[in-house]
Amino acid sequence: MLKQILKNLCSRRNAVNISAEAVSAEQELLRSLEGLRDDIESIYGRSLRIRQVDAGSCNACEWECTALSNPVYDIQRFGIDFVASPRHADMLLVTGPVSRQMELALIKTYEAVPDPKFVVACGDCAFNGGVYSGSYAVTGGVSRVLDVDLVIPGCPPSPIKIITSLLAFLKQRS
Amino acid sequence: MSTQNYRILHSDIRLNEEYVEVPRDDFRSACISIFQKHNAFLRLMFCTDERAYTGCFRIYAVFSDSSSDRFIIINSAVAEELSYPSITQDIPAAHWYEREIKDMFGLEPEGHPMPQRLVFHESFPQDSYPLRKDWSISETDLREWSEGIKVKEPYRFMRVEGEGIFEIPVGPVHAGIIEPGHFRFSAIGETIFYLDSRFFYTHKGTEKQFEKIGFEKGAFLSERVSGTSSFSHSSAYCMAVERMCGIVLPQRAAAIRTLLLELERLYNNIGDIGNMCAGTGLSVGYAKGALIKERLMQLNERVTGSRYLRGINTLGGVALDIMQKSDDIRSTIGIVAKEYRDFVDLLLQTLSHIERMETTGHVAKEIARALGITGLAARASGIDDDMRKLHPHLLYGSLNFESHVLERGDDFARMLARVADADSSIQLIKELLEGQFSNELASEYPVVPAMQHALGYVESSRGSLFYWVKSDPEGRVFRVKLRSPSYCNWSAMPFAVNGDIVPDFPLTNKSFNLSYSGCDM
Repeated sequence: MLKQILKNLCSRRNAVNISAEAVSAEQELLRSLEGLRDDIESIYGRSLRIRQVDAGSCNACEWECTALSNPVYDIQRFGIDFVASPRHADMLLVTGPVSRQMELALIKTYEAVPDPKFVVACGDCAFNGGVYSGSYAVTGGVSRVLDVDLVIPGCPPSPIKIITSLLAFLKQRS
Repeated sequence: MSTQNYRILHSDIRLNEEYVEVPRDDFRSACISIFQKHNAFLRLMFCTDERAYTGCFRIYAVFSDSSSDRFIIINSAVAEELSYPSITQDIPAAHWYEREIKDMFGLEPEGHPMPQRLVFHESFPQDSYPLRKDWSISETDLREWSEGIKVKEPYRFMRVEGEGIFEIPVGPVHAGIIEPGHFRFSAIGETIFYLDSRFFYTHKGTEKQFEKIGFEKGAFLSERVSGTSSFSHSSAYCMAVERMCGIVLPQRAAAIRTLLLELERLYNNIGDIGNMCAGTGLSVGYAKGALIKERLMQLNERVTGSRYLRGINTLGGVALDIMQKSDDIRSTIGIVAKEYRDFVDLLLQTLSHIERMETTGHVAKEIARALGITGLAARASGIDDDMRKLHPHLLYGSLNFESHVLERGDDFARMLARVADADSSIQLIKELLEGQFSNELASEYPVVPAMQHALGYVESSRGSLFYWVKSDPEGRVFRVKLRSPSYCNWSAMPFAVNGDIVPDFPLTNKSFNLSYSGCDM
């Protein structure tokens, strides 16, 4: 076992290679995020904690939020993180057209977030129901249920777009 | 051969679909007979409301022959009796379909062992069936459904009683960034005695929405049924409409669809191998899997303009000639293939990771077979179910690849099945990039014929995926039925986790990685 561990540790295979395009995306991101830390600090004191709620999304928006924590975007280094409980959150990031069978759960999650809190509608469905607009089984967007502070359009919005939108919003609020 | 114990009223064959109409009273015996005689898979069951034309509802059960490229579709008219003989006791794979038909059309499956609601939660009004053509719902009923407060009869979870047994309710909102669903564990100490689950929180009325928006916009909607299977869904949907209209797909379009299906399979499988590391607490594996997946997502975006391969499929073909970007695909896949191989080698050398997966989440072959488990999860439990081999679609019939079947049935088997699938995807992508194809990207989309119907299907990364479409006398949408692989495979979860400990659940869940949205429709 020990041999195995040593072998793994010594192997160059463990080195994480980041592609050229990922590096350029990252540099672009870093440029656009200058000052974000200060903004977050002035509002929340060093950190912004987001609770994500899927209110009937197709799961593409969720995967873009998950990608924010991968080694390319690594959103945690800016003091932003996704948390497991609404009780720990400053912001509710909602995806999906708010299916009727998720509406109650969404409202209960919102009520569990302590004040001050922001609500983000992430993706076209969360904005106005998107392609599901008019279906009997959806309410047709987060703003039908909660007061929305920020809309991030896109189907789904890319990870870069989600970060830059959050930045622009925080700048405006600080 | 035994004598046939059901009467045939009518039968016709179109492409590889053989429609056999039997009297309602013989529906059950016909289904059982076909199921046993052909060692068949029950692929889907659905219903249509034809009352405007024939005065009846019609129920369909689609079986696929395991020895030839043929679908046998048993169907029966159901008139004012509003019920039909259930087949669930004999073919357990039918258990959800029959409950769904009851929710959507109000037809009673006679003899179903558990005929409670499936799709709609308690606050949805009684005697209200959305897929009936004359259905409407009042604003008050919609509001009460949304508010979920006036519940006449609360949902009954399967209850395990006894000393020391307690229940752990989880969801619908989970701790991670995942889709909503409710799980109810009955546990003694850490050991799971029984897992009951409840889905359809993300039910969006998708099939009704297809009827509303028409065939052409349907491709757009089908891409938004399940995010990480966007391309599989739109391919199956387009295939169904194309077969219904008699469109022959140009070879280049078929090649591009095959290539993108494999790119979708590849990013899912590599991402899922990485996600399973989150289930075992192996952070470095999780990060590496996410990194390789991100590389593939960025390739998707460069090649198609969409990280989820959206906007490419149109009725009759594809919108973009991605073969022009073959250099980028070839070089990126070359880099990914190497990184992925090193990544898998690392995982296979990490004993703590492997040992955590071995024997965990075991699904026995007979259970998988009875429940109609499909795709990768079936192949990990010893069942040879791969639509690319059983019913070769697009270019799969002419391509050289292996479909691996493993007997273990545990989380480790599902990881190995993903590795095998990723290997074959890389090989298929390389093979397709070498091919020479005509220049045509799409066939002309004709006037939709009246009262025609057809199946469309692909092997998505999770398993067999079906669409069935039918036009009305004006060539508009009469019915779109979709069946995602997750709809079949969620039934395996209670069996997979039985006897494991509660902390095994996230790992086993990740090993299947099923879609809630695709299942909930």
